[in-house]
Amino acid sequence: MAKKITIALAGNPNSGKTTIFNNLTGSRQHVGNWPGVTVEKKEGSLKYKDYEIKVVDLPGTYSLTAYSLDEVVARNFVVEERPDVVVDIVDASNLERNLYLTTQFMELGVRLVIALNMSDRAEESGHKIDTKKLSELLGVPVVSTIGHKNRGMDELLQAIVDVADGKFDRGNVTPRYGEEIEEEIRKIEELIQRDAGLMQRYAPRWIAIKLLEGDEEVTKKVTGEK
Amino acid sequence: MDRREILDQVRKSSEHLKGIFDDEVETIIVDRRYGFINGIYKKVVSRPAIERLSASDQIDRVVLNRVLGIPIFLFLMWLMFKFTFTLSEVPMGWVESGQEWLGNIFGRFFPAESAFQSLVVEGIIGGVGSVIIFVPIIFLLFFCMAILEDSGYMARAAFVMDRFMHKIGLHGRSFIPMILGLGCNIPGIMACRTIDQERDRLTTILVNPFMSCGARLPVYALLIGAFFPEKGGTVLYSIYILGIVMAIVMAKLFRKYLFPGPAAPFVMELPPYRIPTIKGVIIHMWERGVLYLKKAGTIILAGCVLVWFLGNFPWSPEYSKDYDRLKQEVKADSASGLITKAARDESIANLENEQAREKMEKSYLGGLGRIIEPVVKPLGFDWKIGVGLFGGFIAKEIVVGTLGTLYAVGEADEESAPLRERIQRDTWPDGRKIYTPLTAFTLMVFTLLYMPCVAAIGVIYRETNSWKWPLFAAGYTTAVAWVVSFIVYQGGRLIGLG
Amino acid sequence: MKGGFMPLNMVNPGEEVTLMAIHAGRGLQSRLHSMGLFPGVKMKVLKGGPGPLIVSVRDTRLALGCGMAHKIMVG
Repeated sequence: MAKKITIALAGNPNSGKTTIFNNLTGSRQHVGNWPGVTVEKKEGSLKYKDYEIKVVDLPGTYSLTAYSLDEVVARNFVVEERPDVVVDIVDASNLERNLYLTTQFMELGVRLVIALNMSDRAEESGHKIDTKKLSELLGVPVVSTIGHKNRGMDELLQAIVDVADGKFDRGNVTPRYGEEIEEEIRKIEELIQRDAGLMQRYAPRWIAIKLLEGDEEVTKKVTGEK
Repeated sequence: MDRREILDQVRKSSEHLKGIFDDEVETIIVDRRYGFINGIYKKVVSRPAIERLSASDQIDRVVLNRVLGIPIFLFLMWLMFKFTFTLSEVPMGWVESGQEWLGNIFGRFFPAESAFQSLVVEGIIGGVGSVIIFVPIIFLLFFCMAILEDSGYMARAAFVMDRFMHKIGLHGRSFIPMILGLGCNIPGIMACRTIDQERDRLTTILVNPFMSCGARLPVYALLIGAFFPEKGGTVLYSIYILGIVMAIVMAKLFRKYLFPGPAAPFVMELPPYRIPTIKGVIIHMWERGVLYLKKAGTIILAGCVLVWFLGNFPWSPEYSKDYDRLKQEVKADSASGLITKAARDESIANLENEQAREKMEKSYLGGLGRIIEPVVKPLGFDWKIGVGLFGGFIAKEIVVGTLGTLYAVGEADEESAPLRERIQRDTWPDGRKIYTPLTAFTLMVFTLLYMPCVAAIGVIYRETNSWKWPLFAAGYTTAVAWVVSFIVYQGGRLIGLG
Repeated sequence: MKGGFMPLNMVNPGEEVTLMAIHAGRGLQSRLHSMGLFPGVKMKVLKGGPGPLIVSVRDTRLALGCGMAHKIMVG
């Protein structure tokens, strides 16, 4: 009996996400629109060991704020459809900026796997990345991939499947914002934890941080506006 | 209510933190986030002592050069078009032959001259043919686009053209869709997806139809051949320029009044160049090509069947002559040796063309043409032109074919000499010539500007997710076409060019 | 650097500067932040105005329109 899981591919524009999506799903993909908006939605599927994996390609984004339609679509999917695993495609030669999006996913509390893509390019320009250390510090499995040479796909799928099965303990790493801010976050979290409705869907810390940031969409969800 | 408590706390916290840091909370949070990331980065990445200028940077020094940038871009666009149109000629020829062949085979299944036969052969096979004939061009165009995108060049192109587009009130990214529109409006409109600001995107979509698409060429070719034999190149060029100028004018107007707002801030990443993978390019090309086939295809097919219906019914109108009897007489004359076989064939062909012409005159399409004649008369057009233009609503290629039938020329294309001659000789009831060089030019202007084909309208619907915009596009382009044509025609007459 | 900040589009090509402030609305600021442009970051101007600029920030090449460059203060 095949196990069915759904994964979402996320990452910066130009991170090689599309290539990896094509590698994984080949011809078994189809294009449509996200409901109600003119943002393209790509879905595909594949079989790996005894898993049937549905792959949803999220729009390429630099962050998950409420300021851009692409970002809202991406984050709504993750929050509402709850994919089993989110695969963050990170451009190895642009690590700092790419990790900005990664921290957003970490705060959302999703089950994450990082594909450190274009590692050949990073090597060529003389950058050396300690993937083991990176994985430790982020609390997320990191797999080296070279999308356009189709390398690393098996290892990536194995990591995805391991995370989906709960075999990887995240250890709850997230960015810390310093004493003063953490104190305020704690106060807000306390109140959020009393609200069953909110707790069901979102990590309370994420809500607290977003509210402090003044995120429009999250604020609306809390006030109950449409 | 619990939730209001939450928001109150948030407000309190924000103010408290603002007091401490003298800055917005959001900013501090971003700062700490980057701090966290930077901390990890330092522990995880080791960089070379000296950073070389990458290959990409070196290429960019040429490609983005102030002087070379635009010529390089224009050259690549020209290359893309040449490649596409040249390579697609052969497959297009196959499609036409295939159409004929299929038509012959299927035609035999149905009683000759019957409505069914005509529906299948002219309506359906003809309709499907007019969709499929575009497939080579569409796929090749998308192939080139995919290569340009995947290699990273597209970003540079947007950058290079941005300054120029800015003056028009548009975005650097609007340039590619406009260029594509010169081949076919459909990929042009679809390419607008890369424009992220809604305002710019809608504007670019709405003015795209003014980029004269390839399907309008047969109409220009016919008219230029008939009325501007020497100055053909100049006239054609002026039509294209007019289209581009109108697109620019309308773009400025739209951005000012319809979608006001500051210009989209232009910030874009320039990814390093890379060699596109064959697989990636093919998948890219395939996705978009199939989309076109599905959407545009079904609409064009439906449209062709509709035009076929309107142009062929009533099936057996009251003819002015008894064509069947006349044809019999000719055959009899030939059998008894009074006329040669060649003469017989010519006479029969003439009779059949006459019959076809009368049939279309008396069809619904002809009726429609007569109804709108008063509207197009101020532009110097008669009802036959009106009918032709109606066909153009469905697909611009149909215009010439429809005119052909109306002038009883049988199978006509833009190079058909008989059609050209008949157009030159045609007169109004009072004896005046219908077509003068001025009228011909006005007709070209109208064809350039009026409503894009139904398939393009369908694509606009798909890309904007509402009927508002496609209908608006159809309406305003036709209105602009009428007004500009009016000015050209009447203005021309005033100056004495008529 | 002499005292005071200046807008990015006045920086000469080849110069390295530090981003000091972004004078823009929250949406635009957020977008620039997520692309790597944040106060404190070092930038190098690869191609200067007039017209759009190209800067190198945190290993990325970014193209900025002149309107944008005006809003980014560096020092």
